[in-house]
Amino acid sequence: MSLKTARALTVAYLALMTISVTWPGLLPFARIEPLILGLPFSMAWIAGWVAGSVVVLYLLDRVERRYRQEGGD
Amino acid sequence: MEQWVLVSIIIAGYLLLTLTIGLLAGRRSSDSVAGFVAADRSFGLLVMYFVTGASVFSAFAFLGGPGWAYSRGAAAFYILAYGALGMAPFYWMGPRAASLGRKHGFVTQAQLVTGRFPSNSLSSIIALVSLVAFVPYITLQMRGAGIVIEAVTDGHVPLWLGAAVAYGIVIVYVLSAGAMAVGWTNTFQGIFMVVIAWALGLYLPFRLYGGVRPMFERIAVERPDLLTLPGLTAAGDPWTWGAYTSLIIVSAVGLMMWPHLFMKAFTAKDDETLRRTVILFPTFQLFLIPIFLIGFSGVLFAGQPPAPDFILPFMILETGLPAIVVGLFCAGALSASMSTGDALLHASASVVVQDGVTKYLDLDDRAQRRLMRGIVLLTGGIAYYFALDPDSSLVQLLASAYGIISQLAPPVVAAMYWKRATTTGAISGLVAGTATAFFFFLNPELKLLDLHEGVLGLMVHIPTLVAVSLLTPKQDEGHLRGFFS
Repeated sequence: MSLKTARALTVAYLALMTISVTWPGLLPFARIEPLILGLPFSMAWIAGWVAGSVVVLYLLDRVERRYRQEGGD
Repeated sequence: MEQWVLVSIIIAGYLLLTLTIGLLAGRRSSDSVAGFVAADRSFGLLVMYFVTGASVFSAFAFLGGPGWAYSRGAAAFYILAYGALGMAPFYWMGPRAASLGRKHGFVTQAQLVTGRFPSNSLSSIIALVSLVAFVPYITLQMRGAGIVIEAVTDGHVPLWLGAAVAYGIVIVYVLSAGAMAVGWTNTFQGIFMVVIAWALGLYLPFRLYGGVRPMFERIAVERPDLLTLPGLTAAGDPWTWGAYTSLIIVSAVGLMMWPHLFMKAFTAKDDETLRRTVILFPTFQLFLIPIFLIGFSGVLFAGQPPAPDFILPFMILETGLPAIVVGLFCAGALSASMSTGDALLHASASVVVQDGVTKYLDLDDRAQRRLMRGIVLLTGGIAYYFALDPDSSLVQLLASAYGIISQLAPPVVAAMYWKRATTTGAISGLVAGTATAFFFFLNPELKLLDLHEGVLGLMVHIPTLVAVSLLTPKQDEGHLRGFFS
């Protein structure tokens, strides 16, 4: 994957996350049931986005690192 | 032996251990401004991870987090949402700031901004804005430490003494060892608070309700209002989406603008360490889950704490836990308070001296270090004075501190990324944004859609910065090249 695509996807994830954890993107998910791992649905939903950001940033870092090595940076 | 005596012994042991770690770490630091402020730019991944995590999560998260979950329910989820969002842009901004720092010798963010926008008044405004935001934040940490110690010792160690002892120790290691001591004590304290939070967060629901799921099933039946977003206000009325959303945005924007966090870019050993810290940060963030569980476990519990912020010590004492656990919990809460308080004290001194005083007075390296130590004592003294005076508007002040500190984001971003920005533009934006935020802090009834005053400030700040920059002549090409390349 090119550096540009990786950065664009990361920014897209962060933008989507911003909308999904605030109004109005949160509205359809702002409910209690069903409980996920015992947690209210909305809490698990937000925690899921937080956990997902680790994965996204890790994947971005792999691409960024490859480019830095190639660029001799 | 009485329980409170045993608890006091555990707390004393914990404080002694912290002091030892702080003093030992200081022996590795060089006797210079770069050593005191930026730990000679030497922090590796382990230290950076915990420094960042432990500085972000303060007494506000450890006591306020459960307090919010207990009294305002789902409203507390905002704390979980903003951290990862606020930290992520630092994957790119951190290394960029660090590389500019290495090149020009910056150790504070005002130096970075004024390196691009040369102006002594801009530097002083940033120092002043930071200080105004710092004092209530430090005060809150001190009160947090005092409250916890007073609660778990049955009042035998009063608030003034508990806060004085805990912060006396913080001041000793910050004074003697600067950033290096802050780094290593935070590593120790960070591990401590994460372990304590998870242990208690799982123990309480199991002990009281037989598990996390049964607990939420019961709350969903008996108090569904509490679990419905956006939660409740402090008074128990339904909260607004405008306030919930704008609080997340202002906190995300403001998070990394706190000088004690931004300056971590200058303390990291290399860019790789900074990037990994950013990647791993959300894992630290998830420790809010057990923090909320602690608060929710109190919802259907018989009896009430004197104030929502006391829910954590209240649950610990009411569920008859053994003294050793109470003592360890107390150490965990102190960790949260002290690991933020020390970073705040340290950063306030660095900022006031580097960005305020040295702009007008020519001081050598040694005199600067001595002055910074004086400021640590002075700021600590002022915060302690306020900590003893139970002023109810403090929590409000802290919320507003985020409104003020988030105004540092536009000039910082413009300094690093927008070549067309000008010094006049940066100053006008900062003044207009801060004034707007302050105006709505004083007149909350005028707020549009219940939006946070910091967001309203940014809505004036950013257009002003852009418009004034475009209306004033472009910065000198040679200056831009010297700054960027």
